[in-house]
Parts: sequence; structure tokens; C-alpha cells
Amino acid sequence: MKAFLALLKIDLKLAARNRTVLFFNYFFPLMFFFIFAQMFDANQGSAILQVVAMVVVLGILGNGLFGAGMRAVQEREENVLRRYKVTPITPVPLLAASMITGVVLFVPSVVLIIFLAHQFYGMALPPQLFSLIIFVCLGAIAFRSLGLIIAAVVNSSQESNILIQPIYMAMLFLSGATIPITYMPHWLQNITQFIPATYLMTGIGGIMQRGETIMANWLSVVALLLTTAVGTFIATKLFRWEKEEKLRASAKLWVLVVLLPFVFLGAYQAWSQHDLVKARILARDLRRGQNWLIQNARIFVGNGKVIESGAVLVRGGKIAEVYDGNFPDAKTLNAEPIDGAGKTVLPGLIDVHVHIGGPGGFYDDWTKFDPAKANERALEAYLYSGVTAVRSVGDKVDDMIELRRRFNSGERLGTELFLCGPLFTAEGGHGTEYAKNMPEMARAGFNAQFLRIPKSQEEARRQVDELAAKGVNAIKGVLECGVPGYSFNRMDLKLLGAVVEEAHAKKLPASIHTGDARDVADAVSLGADSIEHGSFRDDIPDATIAEMKAKGIAFDPTLSVVEGLSDFAKGKTDLLKRSLVQQVTTKDLLTGTEHAASSAEMKAMRDGLSHYPLSLEIGGRNLLKAWHAGIMLVTGSDAGNFLVLHGPTVQREIELWVAAGIPPEVALQAATWNAARLLRADQRIGTIEKGKEASLLVVDGNPLQDVRALSSISNVFLKGERVRRNEIFEQK
Amino acid sequence: MSEPVIFARGLRKSYGTLEAVKGIDFEVSAGEVFGLLGPNGAGKTTTVEILEGLRPRSGGEVKVLGFDPDRQKQALKNRIGVCLQATNLPDKIKVHEALDLFGAFYSKNVDGDALLRRLQLWEKREAGYATLSGGQKQRLALALALINDPQMLFLDEPTTGLDPQVRLEIRDLIEELRAEKRTILMTTHYIEEAERLCDRVAIIDDGVIIAIGSPRELQQKSATQSSIDISLGQPLPPVELPTWPDAIRTIVSDDRQKISVSSGRPAKTLVELIKWIDAQGLELADVHLNRPTLEDVFIELTGKRLRD
Repeated sequence: MKAFLALLKIDLKLAARNRTVLFFNYFFPLMFFFIFAQMFDANQGSAILQVVAMVVVLGILGNGLFGAGMRAVQEREENVLRRYKVTPITPVPLLAASMITGVVLFVPSVVLIIFLAHQFYGMALPPQLFSLIIFVCLGAIAFRSLGLIIAAVVNSSQESNILIQPIYMAMLFLSGATIPITYMPHWLQNITQFIPATYLMTGIGGIMQRGETIMANWLSVVALLLTTAVGTFIATKLFRWEKEEKLRASAKLWVLVVLLPFVFLGAYQAWSQHDLVKARILARDLRRGQNWLIQNARIFVGNGKVIESGAVLVRGGKIAEVYDGNFPDAKTLNAEPIDGAGKTVLPGLIDVHVHIGGPGGFYDDWTKFDPAKANERALEAYLYSGVTAVRSVGDKVDDMIELRRRFNSGERLGTELFLCGPLFTAEGGHGTEYAKNMPEMARAGFNAQFLRIPKSQEEARRQVDELAAKGVNAIKGVLECGVPGYSFNRMDLKLLGAVVEEAHAKKLPASIHTGDARDVADAVSLGADSIEHGSFRDDIPDATIAEMKAKGIAFDPTLSVVEGLSDFAKGKTDLLKRSLVQQVTTKDLLTGTEHAASSAEMKAMRDGLSHYPLSLEIGGRNLLKAWHAGIMLVTGSDAGNFLVLHGPTVQREIELWVAAGIPPEVALQAATWNAARLLRADQRIGTIEKGKEASLLVVDGNPLQDVRALSSISNVFLKGERVRRNEIFEQK
Repeated sequence: MSEPVIFARGLRKSYGTLEAVKGIDFEVSAGEVFGLLGPNGAGKTTTVEILEGLRPRSGGEVKVLGFDPDRQKQALKNRIGVCLQATNLPDKIKVHEALDLFGAFYSKNVDGDALLRRLQLWEKREAGYATLSGGQKQRLALALALINDPQMLFLDEPTTGLDPQVRLEIRDLIEELRAEKRTILMTTHYIEEAERLCDRVAIIDDGVIIAIGSPRELQQKSATQSSIDISLGQPLPPVELPTWPDAIRTIVSDDRQKISVSSGRPAKTLVELIKWIDAQGLELADVHLNRPTLEDVFIELTGKRLRD
């Protein structure tokens, strides 16, 4: 211990006298700090976090591989170690002093970088500063031991250079320390998982960006500790005091042994993808952390208020300020300005009624239809179109939960997903027809995910409880008996009542599909939170309307699906030719649907549909009635049905509403604030107010005068990230 | 008599098939200065490094200060002082820091300041290692070897590579250490150094000790005879020279003013020789007795010079 302390003291003094050491520990990181800060626009938001992580990791690499590795070899070559050899000390205090010296030298440089980032780039001090420092120290020690093991196995300075350079380069470029991992192709991303420095990046990123503690990174911590332990042990065993003692070339394989913990961790991560997912989320967080100022724009706040000219400041993923009239210079706000002259900023649009699993059309070759890919594509298409939140109201529940996890975490970029999961219906009721033609085995599996058919109120409640436990956002029930020729068993009202009650007990909104006036009346009397569809064949009686209003039940008229199905029955495909639909829909789906609308094989289906009573006029009348009664309106499209393609659904729904006589501002409020209220997410989304999430749609022109302007998209923001719409379908 | 400080019996060391030390025996007693002489590659350094605990032996019995250098390495190193050739310290370490550092390696320490004063390094105590002259570096090496007040010192070529003045200084220091009754084992290339400093020397060649004893004993054992050189005031008249006792060969110079007589017992021959010159009425200008040097002994025994 006495020897260790003396060595540590001398090592530190010598380091302080050594210009190279000071250069690489302090000047070098500072240089990179300012270069990276410049490159990544670190003054405009959270990129500074990335810059700090990169510079710290670069520092750890240099400090460990060059600082420890090279120096140990030099001391041996210059016969310094030979002098120590005749004294009673063992290699242990020498190695330990070298490790601790590295850390003691390094920590001030980390603190300095954090201070500079805080002072000059407005970075908030990391909430888990202690975890950060400990993690950085562990990293520095582990890389120090890596440097020492390299020193232990090489026979000369040249050899150590030859060995260190490729290791350094690999760590530099394959860890995310210089090139973000998310920019790499998938196979290379998997390779990064075998690079120890990768875990420094994700660990530091997690602690700094997400306020994780060191415990959240325990796998990385274990790997770093193991590397340190194995490295120190082997470095002690292979320690050589004299340059004349040579080791066989095969001794260099010991380096691999030290890296073994990361071989196992890498294999595990390449399999589990946990760390890569984290890297993607961290990268997403960074993009969401940029500062923007959308200036000189008309602002449709969402709650009825309109600012004719002002600015919206986006910072840290949130709306930091809304300026009415004058606003400060973007530069003083450290924000990137976006010119909004002649444009309108709205809250991102919301579609409360979609079926993600419904393709919306046809494929000539159904083997081209990959449901998993199509689900991703749907959420990407919505975001591309400025629809920043959708609610799935009838899909395979586990698929939706996984989809929601991936998209809502930011692992993959796409619109925010809310979900109901399966439909509550009756045996032979609406919803059971979809799996009718499936083979029996597949049908059972599909229906288990897609339907809930309770036989008793107890079962109904239990099924709701199970879904609540899975984490659904709402419950969807069906009240529909169909029409002659297309009849369905209608769900027992006692059972549906139990579903609604239990949903409320679990604090979940209950939405009920209705087919005719009786269905609407019953759904209203059961106390549903929203009526989905209303009726396309019956006028909803005034008494029902009044009760809806009194109970605060929302109305989602889904006119789009009426148009879509009617058009398809007539073989009309104008909906496919809309510009945004063309942009977001795959070629296979577009051409397949085009063919299906006119092909002979599909004639029977089209004819069948044409006999089903679907009246856009009645739907529109019911909507007007509800509006006049002051009922809360929300926009839903029933996308996934024929010709209602995932993407610009809310735009078309609003156009149909306006055609039915609804004023644009009413339709727009339904698509934003009202929809957010139905989703019970209005604390976060739906309006442009300070503190809300910055999920925004910027369009050219003024949709309050002409709602078609909603399709002239200038910019889309999701949680502060300016969406690169042209890249959204090319995500890795 | 007390136990020897160094005891080696049948000491062997091989590197693979190469046998560097082929079974050597010797002892060094307390307070003795013992020199190891030998040409390069003779096994000197290997032997010393085994004794210092730096290298494991292949066979034989070894004890240094009662410790087995193989099995009690740390304990042994704690008690000995070693001055190696061709070692360095970090360039930027200061003289006093080096002393503090090395002091921390040992359980026993002497006053570092006193050591610096004694080795005339006090003025240089704040100087960096790289700025020291060769002599200063060597004095610092000695200081470091003495920091734990060792009773046993190993000095490996302590004056090699130093200029003559510094070499003398270092030799004086070693004499002081000898006066302090420290046991010293040294290797050297300088015969006169061994003659002057060592109580006993061993000559190693090809891994074996070929001679051991005090320098004087080795000289006496030498097959080389002493010679008596006489200078006369006037040329030797053309007389027949007698055969002096123990004289082996007599050579008269061309000018007949110098006589050189080789003898197995030079003292006895010398008396008879002087008597004869006196009897001849010749004037004796100068007398010189040349004994064989250790160098002669070395060359005679090994067929090699010490410094190749």
C-alpha cells in the first residue's frame, strides 16, 4: 500500500510534467469538444449531450490505450522497470498506480467538458452526475487495463503501436463515438455490439440523456468490471520487467481473452438487440432535443384560438413558448429558425379510428403483403402525412402492443399509436366475418388476438381487466345487427354494459361501433365515451342526440369509410390518385387496388358492397345534427377498409365534413384538441400551448379558409423532431 | 565464524540446452568485498542475478543473508541493495523524489537527505533525472541502493562508462562502504579496481570458477614469474654472469647497462644479485621488481582479456 501510494504520487507528478499527457488528456478532448459542438450545432438543443458523450469516450480510449499501453512499454524499453525489479515490489502496485493515475487525470477533464457544455451550450447538468462519474471511471479503468494488457503482450513500442492502432480505430468508428450507430447498416450495427466502447456510448448517453442511474446499465458495468478484473489479472501474470524477456507472438491472443466479456455481451446483444434499441432511442432523443423557432406563421392553437401571426419555439421536444405577434430573434433563443410566412402551424392531426392491420386495398399478389412491414409502413405513412397520433380500434392486440412499444419509444420513427386491441362482439357478430375464410387453426389464433366474445358479464369484466393489464389505451365494443343479407348477431346489452362499466372502472374510455339508430341509442344509454360511425342508414333521433350531449359523449362519424366503400363498389378510384396517398402507399398496393376496383374476379364483392346501405348523406346529416347540438366531435377514418389508405386520412375526413357543412375551424378542432381529449392525452398533445409536446403540422396556406391546404405539407414535427419525411420509409 | 552472507554450492543455470552456469561454489563472509571477474558471457551477470532473486536457478543450493533467493525473493530484496548497470529512472523524476519513491518500497529506510549529502547530490536534489551527468546518475543509483541501509550490496560494473575522475570518486565511496563493514559483491571490468577494492575475487569463465582467492594469492599462484630489472651506472664489463639462486633466466641489454632476471623467488634472488653487483664495483642506478598483475593471471587462466 505504501509502495502503491508512492507510485501513484510519482505517476501523477510525472504526468503533470509531461506535455504529451496533458495534451492528450486535456487539450485534445477540448479541441474535439469544440469541433464536434460546431459540427453538430450543439448550441441548438440536445446535440450537446451527444458531443459530450463522444468526447468523453474519445478521451477514455486515448487515456486507456495510449496513456497506459504505450507508457508501460516505454518504461520497460528504457530499463526503468528493470530498476524496480530489484526492489521488493510486485507488479500489482505498479499496475494499480497506472490505472488510478489514468482515472485521476481523466475525471477533471470530464468535469471540465461538462462545465463548458453547461456554460457555453446551455446543457443542463446531468441529474445523475454521480452515476455518470462512476460510470466514466469504470470505463477509464477498464480501458486502462486493456492498455496494460496490450503492453504486457507486446515486445516493443512498434509492436504496441501496431496492435493499439487498429483497436483504437475500430473503437473510434464502430462505437458511435464518431459516427452514430443508427447511420450504419444493420449488419454493422450488430458488429458494434462487440466493441466495448459502444457500451460506453450507450451508457453515458443513457445516463446523460435519460437520467438513467448506473444500475440501469448494469450489464455494461459488469462487462467493464470483468474486463478490468481479467485484464489486471493477466497483466500481472504476464508482467515483464525487462525488454530482453520476450513473449511468443501467440501471447497476443490474451488480448482477446480480456475482451471475452464483450464477446459474450456482444453476442447477447446481437441476439436481444436491447443495446441497439437503446442506441436508436438515444439517437431519436437527440433529434427530438433540437431547438426550433417556427416564425411569422399563423398558429391554429387547437382549442378554438387562432394567432394570425406569431412564432412557436420548440425546445427539448416540447413547445417552449408560443409568441403572439412579436417574437425574439432565433439566434438569441439558440434555435434554428423555420420561416412560416404564408404558412399555418397546427397541432399534429389525430385519427381516432383506424385498423392498422387492414391493408386499405388489394394486392395482385398477396405474397407481397407482409403484415409486419405493412403495420410499420402504416405508422410511417401517417407521420409523413402530418397525422401525429392514431388510435387502433380493432387489431391483433399483441402485435399492436409491440408496434406501439417500438414506435412510441422512438426506436423507430412513425406516428404515435394508441390502441384498443381486440373488438368486443357477439358470437357471429360483426368482427367475426374477417376470419371466416381462414383455415381453422389460423382462425383460432387470429380471433384470440382480434376478438373478445364474452359469455357472461363476469367473463366480460375479466377480459377487460386482462386487456387493461396488457396496457391498452381504450376498449372497443360493437353494436351491429347488419342488414338483411348481411346480418350479424348483435351483442347482448348486459354483456356490453359490463364491458363499458369495467372499462370505466379501469379508467379506460369505451368506444362503441354502431350501425343503426337503435345501436346508437343503446350505446349512448350504456354510457360509451364515443360513438363510432353513428349510422349511415338511419337518422339519429333528436332524443339520442340530446342524451349524447348531456352525457358528454363524443361523436366520430367516420365519413371516410362510407366514401371509400361506396367508391370501391362503384369501381371509382379517385381516392387512390390523391397526391399524398400516392406518396405514402406502396406501388404494389396502389396497382393491386386499382385492378381490384375494376377486375372481373372482384365484381361479386363490389356488387355485394353496393347493396349495403351506406349513405354519405345520412352520415353527414347526423354529423351536422351532432355539431348543432354541441356534441364533441372527433375525427376518425376507419382506415384499413377499402380505399381508406393509411396516411392522409384526417385530411380527407375533414374535407368530407366541410362538404357536409361543418366549418373548417370546427373540423380542425375535432382533429386536434377534441381527439386528444377522447384519447385522454390532452395534457400532452392536441394544442399548441407552452409545455405541450411539439407534435406539429406546418402547411402552406390557410386551412381555415380552404381545408385542402392541409395536404400541402411544409413540415411535420413529432415530439420536437423535425421529421425528414423523404427518409421515413427508408429507416434501417 | 558466523554464517556466510552469500553461500553458493553447485549453482547451475541453463537456458534451454545452453548451460550458462555450470555448478559453481563460493562463499562471501560478512564485511567482505568480493569481486566477480570474467569475460563477457562467462556467466557473471547470470550468477549475480540469481543471487539477487531476479532469476530462478536451475540447480544447486543458494543462500543470501540466510534467504533462498528463489523462494524468499521479496524478503531478500527488502534487505539487499542493488546497483545495476543500464537501468534508468523516468526522465522527469527529481532526485529527492526518486529517493522517496524507492524508500517506500522497503520496510526499512535511512534518512534520504543525509544520503544525498553524503553522495554529494544535495545541490541536485531538485534536478530532474534526465539533467544529471553520468557520475551524478551513478551516485544516485548508489543512493537508491543504500536507501534501505542494506548489509549486502550488489554492485554490477559500478564504474563502467564513467570518466576517470568520477571513477575514482565512486571507488572512494565503495571504500567507505567497505569501512562500514557492509558486504559487497561486485563485478567489474577494471582489474586495478578489483585489486584495490576486493578482499577476494573469483574468476569465472564459461560458467565455472577457475580461480578464487585474494588478489595477492592469485598472483602468487600464477605461473608467470616476477622479474627484477636493474639499471647500472656504467656498462657491464664482459664477464661471465653467475647463476643466482632461483633465477630462471637472465637477459642483458645491448648497451649492457640493464640486467633483467626472472625468478621464482624474487626476494632471495634480489639480495644475491645486489651483492654481486656491489662485489663487481658497479654502480647501481635503479632497481625494479615486477610482480605479475591480476590481468596477467586472468589472461593466463582464460586466454582472454577482460575487456574485449
